[in-house]
Amino acid sequence: MGRSLTLVCTLLLGSVLISAQAHAKVCVTDDSGAQLCLPKTAQRIIALSPGATELVYAAGAGDKLVAAVSFSDYPDAAKKLPRVGSYNRFDQEAILALKPDLLIGWLSGNPREQLSQLQTLGMPIYYSELRSFEDVANSLERFGKLAGTTNTANTAAADFRYGIKKLRERYTKASEVSVFQQIWINPLMTVNNEHIISEATRICGGVNVFGDLPNLTARIDNEAVLAANPEAIIAGGMGEENHDWLKDWRRFSGLTAVRKDNLFFIPPSTLQRPTPRLLQGTTLLCQHLDTARGRR
Amino acid sequence: MLAATDLVIDIPERKSGTPLSFDVKAGEIWGILGPNGAGKTTLLHTLAGLKKPRAGSVNLNNHNIQDLRRKQVAQQLAVVFQNNGEGFPATVLETAMIGRHPFIAPWDIETADDLAIARQALQKLELSNLESRLVSTLSGGERQRLAIATALSQSPKLWLADEPSNHLDLKHQVQIMGLLAEQADTGCGVILCLHDLNLAAHWCDKILLLYPTGEARWGDANAMLTVPALERLYDQKLSMISSEGQTYFTPISSRT
Amino acid sequence: MAGAKSNNNTTSLPRFFTPLLVLFVFTLGTLTLAITTGSVHISNQELWQVLHGGGEPLHRTLVFELRLPRALSAFAAGGLLAVAGALMQVLLRNPLADPYVLGLSGGAAVGALLAMLSGLSAAAVSGSAFIGAMISAVTVFGLAHGTGSWTPTRLLLTGVVIASGWGAAITFMLAVSPSDQLPGMLYWLMGDLAYARSPWMALTVLAIISVVMLPLGRSLNVLARGQMQASALGVSVRPLEWTIYISASLLTAFAVTTAGSIGFVGLIVPHMLRLVLGNDQRLILPAAALAGGALLTLADTLARTLIAPEQLPAGVITALIGVPSFLYLLHRSR
Repeated sequence: MGRSLTLVCTLLLGSVLISAQAHAKVCVTDDSGAQLCLPKTAQRIIALSPGATELVYAAGAGDKLVAAVSFSDYPDAAKKLPRVGSYNRFDQEAILALKPDLLIGWLSGNPREQLSQLQTLGMPIYYSELRSFEDVANSLERFGKLAGTTNTANTAAADFRYGIKKLRERYTKASEVSVFQQIWINPLMTVNNEHIISEATRICGGVNVFGDLPNLTARIDNEAVLAANPEAIIAGGMGEENHDWLKDWRRFSGLTAVRKDNLFFIPPSTLQRPTPRLLQGTTLLCQHLDTARGRR
Repeated sequence: MLAATDLVIDIPERKSGTPLSFDVKAGEIWGILGPNGAGKTTLLHTLAGLKKPRAGSVNLNNHNIQDLRRKQVAQQLAVVFQNNGEGFPATVLETAMIGRHPFIAPWDIETADDLAIARQALQKLELSNLESRLVSTLSGGERQRLAIATALSQSPKLWLADEPSNHLDLKHQVQIMGLLAEQADTGCGVILCLHDLNLAAHWCDKILLLYPTGEARWGDANAMLTVPALERLYDQKLSMISSEGQTYFTPISSRT
Repeated sequence: MAGAKSNNNTTSLPRFFTPLLVLFVFTLGTLTLAITTGSVHISNQELWQVLHGGGEPLHRTLVFELRLPRALSAFAAGGLLAVAGALMQVLLRNPLADPYVLGLSGGAAVGALLAMLSGLSAAAVSGSAFIGAMISAVTVFGLAHGTGSWTPTRLLLTGVVIASGWGAAITFMLAVSPSDQLPGMLYWLMGDLAYARSPWMALTVLAIISVVMLPLGRSLNVLARGQMQASALGVSVRPLEWTIYISASLLTAFAVTTAGSIGFVGLIVPHMLRLVLGNDQRLILPAAALAGGALLTLADTLARTLIAPEQLPAGVITALIGVPSFLYLLHRSR
């Protein structure tokens, strides 16, 4: 009798403790591979890149954001958030003063020293570094877990995955279109196959003519583009409406892309930011490539 | 005081000249004469220990000057340079005070005595009223006198001066040479590089003739200052005139 | 008027004492300003509490973890650069000399940028910067030494050429580096105190070298007249020049390691001080340490608060404050 009572008590105590733990801690693995555990779901979040801001809103945790960095302009509500500097140099005092319980840092974009200083001062930091579509979906799920908005976040992730899957299926048999992805004009810059833009290109049945370059983002010259002679040129621009970069290619009348008028504009924030809006950008990209196929 | 023993000065690209062996004793005024490029300045700098000789040695009070610390040398010997270059802006008084440097230990600052010595030196050179002026605002002659005043504050036992009468008007030329003679009278040794023959003739006890070939001769003034020797030195015809017990040399040109 | 003060009391310590006291008070003022100013407002009362061990945790963190180390780093870097600049100007007998003229900041930059490109930690970046600066110093020294006697002209020429070489290397690295690394590299090159951490090394070096320079001050005055003249006045010229060169190199290396290549301070602060205080290195060197440090602390405080939360590089503000001040002093001294 005494022993079974002890056993029951131990089990009860154990399960209480375990469930207390489970309710107390929220743990995720971030993009650097580190484990981040919060004592409870985050209520005061600061996003240290414009992309992270978007992701937090998409995960349903927008109302828990207390500040963001400059250029956090989507969704509209983000424009009203207090600022703590820019992504490559933030105001530590402002960050500390807001008493956040979670910071979303950008591993390759934020200054390492400032992040490590904040970490030393006890700030929990989630290191974000998105390189693929799957990373976007995972991030949404993790943010949902950290902020306690798992329903919204998981739905958003599922929708995103579904949208990408459908696009992939639709264009899996499409004939290849050679594409030049331009991300800047002075200097002329493009991306290689590891970049998320190239993944989008592949989904749409395209191939990045500069995919084999060693650097994630590379500076090239006009000659290289002329030599590669892509079938289509995709560019963003300075701002969401500016088509100047594409117009600039028209002087090379020998280019296939120019002759066939395959100069396509995609608003940069829908393709160059790793957020759920990539679905929009990719959809648009696939439509453009189809147009190019039609002009053969 | 200062002795040269088999001294051969080092002039790059020139063959070694006559080894010099002479003694500068207290109270003597030596004049080094020679045309431009003969090496007068180099010799003076070597005697001051600022340049290494090619051969032989310079001894200050029986110590090889190269073996002594610069500070020890500076407490005995003052140099007046030909060119007093642009340093950082400084006042006349500050510059004169620099002469006291060899006597002040690193951790000490200048005392009232040092200030008094510097002021006295300025007074002797008639620069007292220019005490607070910046050196850059002085005329060539005033700068020359300041250089001498600085040397005077060093209270040296040996003076080595390179063309001290440069830039000076007649009155100050006489004043300077008089000052140097006075120093010699109180027991200093004086070595001057001069290009003015007549100054040398008037004021120097001993003469060293430095030929452009490196050859050298030295001795008492009247023995050295002969027309043939000087004509060979300067490659210039000269005539010698005696007047009121003084000897003067003038160059003979085609116009006379 | 330069030197007017030295007229009647050349020998008395008050001549040194008063200006240094004024500068010391100014320094305390800028440090206080740095600690009390920032994106978060801390009232004097709250500051008092913090300094006495109490106060809110946030305020304590702000003061002791952020503002104080940063202010001390700024002070150290500014002081190091100003003293290095003054020493360079004496060594090269050239008023246009600054701590970077002999290629020290270029070497440090190359070291730092290489470390950044290799993805090394912040400590490694600082270490590389230091090593780069010292390599540059030794190279210039060795090359200028040449046939056994180096003159200021030879040293300057060698230094300028080496500095250009480093400049080309930096440009090359900027051109080929991945674009996401660029902002970090540029901020380092502009000089930035946002990353400055422990100031103690830099402050110690500044203190040690200032003390070493104290007995040498008068010899420096004499050296400023010219090598021959100095030698004739009892200065051991060669050892002194080496001491100056090594000291200036160390000072600059630590400054650049702490704050990146902040320009302007090393060139202008010694000049500003000379216009007001005359040319006695015994006064100018300690004054430079205080004035340079105070100036950079002030500039950094402005840099982080002027358009907060946006942050500016401190070097920009130093120029904005320093240029008009210098021109005013220059005008007034005629």
